[in-house]
Amino acid sequence: MIYMHINFWGQEFKVNLVVGCIGAFLIAVMSSMFGFGGGPFMVPLMTVLLGLPMYVVVGSSLLAIFFNTLMSTTKHYSFGNFDLDLFLVMFPAAILAGYVAPMIAKRLNPLWVKRVAVLGLTILGLSLVGVF
Amino acid sequence: MIRKPILAMFASCLLLASGTLFAADAAAPAAAAAATEAPAAPPPAPVAPTIAVDKTSLDNGGTITITGKAEPGKPVVIEVYNEHRVGGSFFDSKPDKDGKIPYKLYLSKDLPAFYQILVPTSQQPVLDKFKKEGRGWSYSAALKETGADLAYLNPGKGPMDSFQASLMATILGSRGDLLPALDDKERVKRSMQIMKGRYRSVGKLLAATVDQKEDGSFTAKVKIPDGSPDKKYVITAVVDKSTRSEPVTVENKVSFPVIYMENAGTSLNIFVPFALVFAIATFGVLMGAGGGFIINPVMVMLFPIPHNIVAGTVTPTVLFSQGSGIMNYSKIKFINWKVGITLGIAMLAGGFIGPALTTMITLDQFKSAFGWILFVLAALMFWQTTPGYLAKNKKEQAIMKEFQKRAAEAAKAKA
Repeated sequence: MIYMHINFWGQEFKVNLVVGCIGAFLIAVMSSMFGFGGGPFMVPLMTVLLGLPMYVVVGSSLLAIFFNTLMSTTKHYSFGNFDLDLFLVMFPAAILAGYVAPMIAKRLNPLWVKRVAVLGLTILGLSLVGVF
Repeated sequence: MIRKPILAMFASCLLLASGTLFAADAAAPAAAAAATEAPAAPPPAPVAPTIAVDKTSLDNGGTITITGKAEPGKPVVIEVYNEHRVGGSFFDSKPDKDGKIPYKLYLSKDLPAFYQILVPTSQQPVLDKFKKEGRGWSYSAALKETGADLAYLNPGKGPMDSFQASLMATILGSRGDLLPALDDKERVKRSMQIMKGRYRSVGKLLAATVDQKEDGSFTAKVKIPDGSPDKKYVITAVVDKSTRSEPVTVENKVSFPVIYMENAGTSLNIFVPFALVFAIATFGVLMGAGGGFIINPVMVMLFPIPHNIVAGTVTPTVLFSQGSGIMNYSKIKFINWKVGITLGIAMLAGGFIGPALTTMITLDQFKSAFGWILFVLAALMFWQTTPGYLAKNKKEQAIMKEFQKRAAEAAKAKA
């Protein structure tokens, strides 16, 4: 009951449902409260704590967080936490980024992108907690 | 013999009567004259101040100079508000006198989208004192100390909802039980807390710019910053509770590409958030996280948009990129529906609760919590650059490529 058996391209995997569901639930509360997808937290949950390989996780984690985003969108909307004009400005920008980013990705070393991200996120985090 | 004195008495009575009559006749117009001249001096009712403004319209903000005259010796405070209405909330989680935490959420959708009370220049030290108090400054105390509370007329008039929050209600995804309507006094008090939560800084809500001369004439300046709401700004000078000037209005015009965003309560040049979201989302895709992690904090730092509106508007933005990602992965059969849907249901429950919590926290709490989330994310990203992770990832990438090849072949065979 605690474990769920899944089959992926002929390979068998065993998933701890208790850890998976509690973790997914907590990530969903946090991400819907703060307004982000939550993918980067779901991926380590599924790879490290549930022991799934990356190739199972990339698509499946996206499916899981889609449920969360769909629900939190309707909840935010019902609470009036939504501005249509702002959405109409941001939405095309996000779609455009989805097309442009893969073109740039080919020319960049993903390791360096991650390193820049670590630095950028740390600086942003420090300014948010009020260090500077 | 007897008749004479009687007659005399009668005559004197008549005379007396007519005399009083005459006197009464004479007094009547005098009293009427006194009634019409009464306000001159001494004044029983104070004279309302008069005001004028140097311009009738602004172009995406600017400074309005207000001139006017009030009675000598009576300090004037001036209320300036915008006619657009915005929402705000205050979550009361401070222990009361008995140490009990109320956990009450107050919500108003009837706040002015711009609000400032101008106080005499002599009050500048008081404002500086409140500025020094930092985030925890009390708006109601500042209003009282500067005398600005007399002009606090516009907010707190409209409807306000209050909810009793509870753990159970939160789990059920609601704001809590709706409490009975608040009385006028309570509503004004709570509206001050909501206003402070929305506008946060002393300088936005109060400005010591009223320069009043001894003869009662005064000049004051109000700066409407760019990005402020458009349409009408209503200006009223107040001397005391019952004495205030006729309101004067100034129109703020904003023109494309600057637009006023109704729920965000701010005017923005649409190209700024467009470029910002494009740049951040591109980087987000490159680093393998959605853009939401960076867009949300950057938006609340750069624009005066409430955090709940930012969170609630960014969320649907990522919905579509997730949807298209799922489509692409499902085409090459790279989704395990069983594990995806199982964890998805757990996340569905989480997504039901989170948005109710967004309005219960202040912008400062939102920011600092987000800071810690980003530290964790940075640590995760760093872990992904470590040699051990990279070696494992390389192996898995190879397997993934192999699977993708097989998937493509299977699709070809089918065709």
